[in-house]
Amino acid sequence: MLEIKVETEGSVKLKGRLDAASAPKAREALRPLKGPMALDLSDLEYISSAGIGVVVETYKRLHGEGAALRVLNLTPGVRAVFRFAGLEQMLAIE
Amino acid sequence: MERRFHRDLSSLPELSRFVADFLSHHGLSPSNAYDLDLILEELFTNVLKYSSGTDQVAVGLTRDDSTITIALREFDVAKAYDITRAPEPDLTRPIAERKVGGLGIHMVRQLAETIRYEYKDRVSTTTITKKVSPNA
Repeated sequence: MLEIKVETEGSVKLKGRLDAASAPKAREALRPLKGPMALDLSDLEYISSAGIGVVVETYKRLHGEGAALRVLNLTPGVRAVFRFAGLEQMLAIE
Repeated sequence: MERRFHRDLSSLPELSRFVADFLSHHGLSPSNAYDLDLILEELFTNVLKYSSGTDQVAVGLTRDDSTITIALREFDVAKAYDITRAPEPDLTRPIAERKVGGLGIHMVRQLAETIRYEYKDRVSTTTITKKVSPNA
């Protein structure tokens, strides 16, 4: 179960599980949004490679438009997956 | 414990419940669920993408002290797909140049102690061992 809240302009909060089943929903919600964007993951309990794919796709799109993506408030489990994906040093993680 | 799941993404919540039930049954810490969920999701979705057996995929979880063995079996599989031979993604490339694919198996490799694959009599079996934290 994944909840996506566009809180203010450029700020998006993800809550729940971003897995292969919910990745299409996340992709659909994020695709129309313009950058710069801050993804708040403080309530994201779980992410898999499919979810990482959504973050990378969003980064690539915004990067191509000259806008930044920041990723905020990762829980330890989610942070470990970003590390496995080799993204911890490359993304703007706060 | 072994359970069969439909070959569909809608089975992911059931897989996660299966892991939670297993940990609870063995008095193991729920903090182990994340890694086990991740391994199972990556193996299961890999099956959906690259393999073509029957509609049912069997998932077995067994415990030996602090080691969990995860076995994923598919039936009537026409062609072997050995994840131990899957190439590693290039994670040194800038994100904007990253290619899609290979990340899930890379994560399984990061988490697993051992990974074994067997293809026999049209049954495809991937077996993973993973150390867990024993305290509930």
